[in-house]
Amino acid sequence: MQTSLLSKVTNDKPSHMSDNINHPQLCEWLNAVANSRDKKAFTQLFKFFGPKIHGIARGKFPNEAQASEVVQETMSNVWRKSHLFDKDKGAATTWVYTVMRNVTFDMLRKIKGNKEDNLSDDIWPIAESMVSDDESFDDHLENKQLLTVIEKLPEAQQEVVKGFYFMEMSQEQLAEHLKLPLGTIKSRLRLALAKLKVQLGEDND
Amino acid sequence: MIKHHPKIELIQAFVDGDLPASLSAGIAMHAEMCSQCQQKIVQLTEHAAEVSFEEAFLDKFIVDDTSTIMSDSDSDDIDFEAMAELISQSNDIDIPEPALDKSIVFNDKTYKLPKALNNMPMSKISNIGKLSRARLQLDENEIHTSLLQIEAGGGVPEHTHKGFELTLLLDGSFHDESGEYVKGDFIMLDGSHQHHPVSKEGCLCYTVANDALHFTQGINKLLNPIGSFIY
Ligand SMILES: [Zn+2]
Repeated sequence: MQTSLLSKVTNDKPSHMSDNINHPQLCEWLNAVANSRDKKAFTQLFKFFGPKIHGIARGKFPNEAQASEVVQETMSNVWRKSHLFDKDKGAATTWVYTVMRNVTFDMLRKIKGNKEDNLSDDIWPIAESMVSDDESFDDHLENKQLLTVIEKLPEAQQEVVKGFYFMEMSQEQLAEHLKLPLGTIKSRLRLALAKLKVQLGEDND
Repeated sequence: MIKHHPKIELIQAFVDGDLPASLSAGIAMHAEMCSQCQQKIVQLTEHAAEVSFEEAFLDKFIVDDTSTIMSDSDSDDIDFEAMAELISQSNDIDIPEPALDKSIVFNDKTYKLPKALNNMPMSKISNIGKLSRARLQLDENEIHTSLLQIEAGGGVPEHTHKGFELTLLLDGSFHDESGEYVKGDFIMLDGSHQHHPVSKEGCLCYTVANDALHFTQGINKLLNPIGSFIY
């Protein structure tokens, strides 16, 4: 499985714009774990999520051992519960986040001297749909569709579109951030939007 | 129709896992009855996930051409691959138990217990007049969590709170000086509020308070000991 997880980062001009998460890839790995207990896919998921979960847990727990326990426990749950993930109901990141948040919540309750009662799965059920009704379901599909179309744009246009829409940066901020003239940003955005319109159909605006 | 919802800051803290179990359960139960808040939770969770897994990357990690993750934090010392190997040796999968439909009986009336409360240990029910209370044992120090039933025609004498008081209506309705409340309403009051809830046809509430009630009027001052009974 030699798919690059994160879009390529240029060495001379590191740009945060292109570091967006490759959702379809994560989703594929998670499904491979669920459907065929694919260890390689699990290792890839671990490489992606492990260090990030560790970093987040370091902010919430006083010591290193506890942070490692959060990683261990979260990823064990991912391994054992992957069949509960439903890609039609949300992103893999959202699902893993829920698993991590629940593990963290239960551990914090335990550390604070409360009981080892593991209430998190009753409060935030993992098995249940992450989406409550049809409306947000549609929303999500639209987002996913939009993302796949954006991924097909030339890289220069992708950075601008993603920065503008997903990170909500202004054109001026983008210009400064990418060290490009404002005019270039504007024309890239215009070009990209024209292409997106064609791809998504005119009635989408 | 539900008119009272948790504030967005509270929903955000819920999504982040930063609230005590008592308030988290309150929001979860409200969201089960309120699609509007359910929707907000879905969106905020997606966003929190995106931010967590993206920013952690931006802050701490560099990706080289072969997409090996290099890190400058102390996660350097952790052998993530070995951890993955060990975990994936297990063939276990978790089959979630079907959520049980539990119920609770107050004065011969049976109420369906919300799922969020399924595994919370509960004290026996005690009564004073038309009020019945079961304490949920969450061990959150000064925060007290209960199920409170007000029988038809009953009420809570006028009072204020030194801290906060959350009342989530699980069944029935009640009214106070500010209006009528119905099933699903999420009512968060702080020390600046005074109220005197009365229930015509009876109700069941989930209550969370971090201090005893303080009764404010005349003879009711004598009732202050009930303050700590109820909340
Ligand atoms: Zn609501």
